[in-house]
Amino acid sequence: MAYIELKGATLDLPIYDVQGRSLKKTVLRMGRRNTIAEGTDGVVVVRAINNVDLRLEKGDRIGLIGRNGAGKSTLLRMMAGIYSPTHGSVLSSGKIVPLLDISLGMDENSTGMQNIRLRGLLLGMSDTEIRAKQQSIAEFSELGDYLDLPLRTYSSGMRVRLAFAVSTAVDAEILLLDEVMGVGDASFMHKAQDRLADLHSRAEIVVLAMHSNSEIRKVCNKALWMERGNVRAFGPVEEVVSQYEAQD
Amino acid sequence: MFSLAFNDLKESVASWRLWTLLGWLEVRQRYARSRVGPFWLTISTGVLIGSIGMVYGTLFGQKLSDYLPYLAISLVMWGTFSQTIIEGSTAYINSTAYIRQAATPKLIFMLQVVWRNLVILAHNFLIVLLLLAIFGVKSWETLPVFIPALILYMINALWIAMVAGLLSARFRDLPQIIAAIMQIAFYVTPIIFRPTALNRFSLIVRLNPLAHLIELVRAPLIGEWPTPITWAVAIGMAVFGWIFALALTGRYLKRIPYWV
Repeated sequence: MAYIELKGATLDLPIYDVQGRSLKKTVLRMGRRNTIAEGTDGVVVVRAINNVDLRLEKGDRIGLIGRNGAGKSTLLRMMAGIYSPTHGSVLSSGKIVPLLDISLGMDENSTGMQNIRLRGLLLGMSDTEIRAKQQSIAEFSELGDYLDLPLRTYSSGMRVRLAFAVSTAVDAEILLLDEVMGVGDASFMHKAQDRLADLHSRAEIVVLAMHSNSEIRKVCNKALWMERGNVRAFGPVEEVVSQYEAQD
Repeated sequence: MFSLAFNDLKESVASWRLWTLLGWLEVRQRYARSRVGPFWLTISTGVLIGSIGMVYGTLFGQKLSDYLPYLAISLVMWGTFSQTIIEGSTAYINSTAYIRQAATPKLIFMLQVVWRNLVILAHNFLIVLLLLAIFGVKSWETLPVFIPALILYMINALWIAMVAGLLSARFRDLPQIIAAIMQIAFYVTPIIFRPTALNRFSLIVRLNPLAHLIELVRAPLIGEWPTPITWAVAIGMAVFGWIFALALTGRYLKRIPYWV
């Protein structure tokens, strides 16, 4: 049974400037009593997620809403296990597949086919799984013979198609999506929506960060409103989204 | 702490398909679009060995038939060791795109570096084989010892790379410092000169653990047995180094995504 549980999860993101990044400066600072002359130690800590308690169960389709910088992407990264919380805990069971920034993590000089394998392995697919799905991924991307050309010759739309095709081929129990719409041209867009809908129906839990409220109303049954790292509201989608819209 | 690092290591080794692929990509990428491909490595190392061999062989008054194989083995093996460490120090930094994408085990990026350098070693080793063929193998009996010696050698390179990579992710001026240290290490380690040549400052050789490490992989190929002290130093370094590296990795593994 897939679930994600956050218990008092807090995440402090350290942001280093050039001073904080330097071993030399750090060592020199050790011997010094007077810290005023040096100013800050070059590390600013930002509380990106503050004391979040949540439990997502099977069947949940959660829409993440909130302004830019509210902590939506960071929350998704934390659920995916990329960032571990500084306080509290994140527990989960089930295979998690994050689709965060779908154009990253590809190799420029490899062909499309080789990138399918690379990205598949990165997302935790097995070798046999990749082989079995290679054909359908290639077909879905509609890239045809271009798949034998290196990625550096691709247009940005083609890259996104390929990345999207591979990422959505993974069998996920928990799917974390961050603003993945806006892919390619109009006809591909339509296909991508169908594919996502299909993914949604297969996955047990879906968390979706998006700025389109109408889309969230359509596909989600719950909404989570983040504000400055805090949970502002969590509940049935209609209720929370209307509150959010009223506030805006 | 240890269990965290151990788990990561176990999962990393299990996803060998991923790091062997990433390692290959890098080698191919550097020499893509050229006809001889990675054999450029072989050619450039060959030229380096040839020219250093002529100059220093004459300077040191050595017989070229002895000195050239000695130099080739030393340079090729040292190159593998120092490149593993230098590239290891930037391994996490350069893999930012992957680390922030998915929760993969982290040590795959270190194994990738080791794998890549083993591939490069295989290319460079052709020169060693060529020179051994020309000047003859000194002793066939010691040759098989090279295999366990090489494994132990790379195990040592790996833990140093793990430590270097982890600290470099936090302190960005460290890779330059490490590259500078490796440069100095190259000069004080008997690579282009013989260990016995430093009679007045023989302490530099005896107290330098790297001298023992390079001796370990070189001796079997030039027909000598590595001494028990050499084995002891290499094994001791590997054991204590790994304990240290795993403890450090276990402690800071979770911080890596924040740092890169």
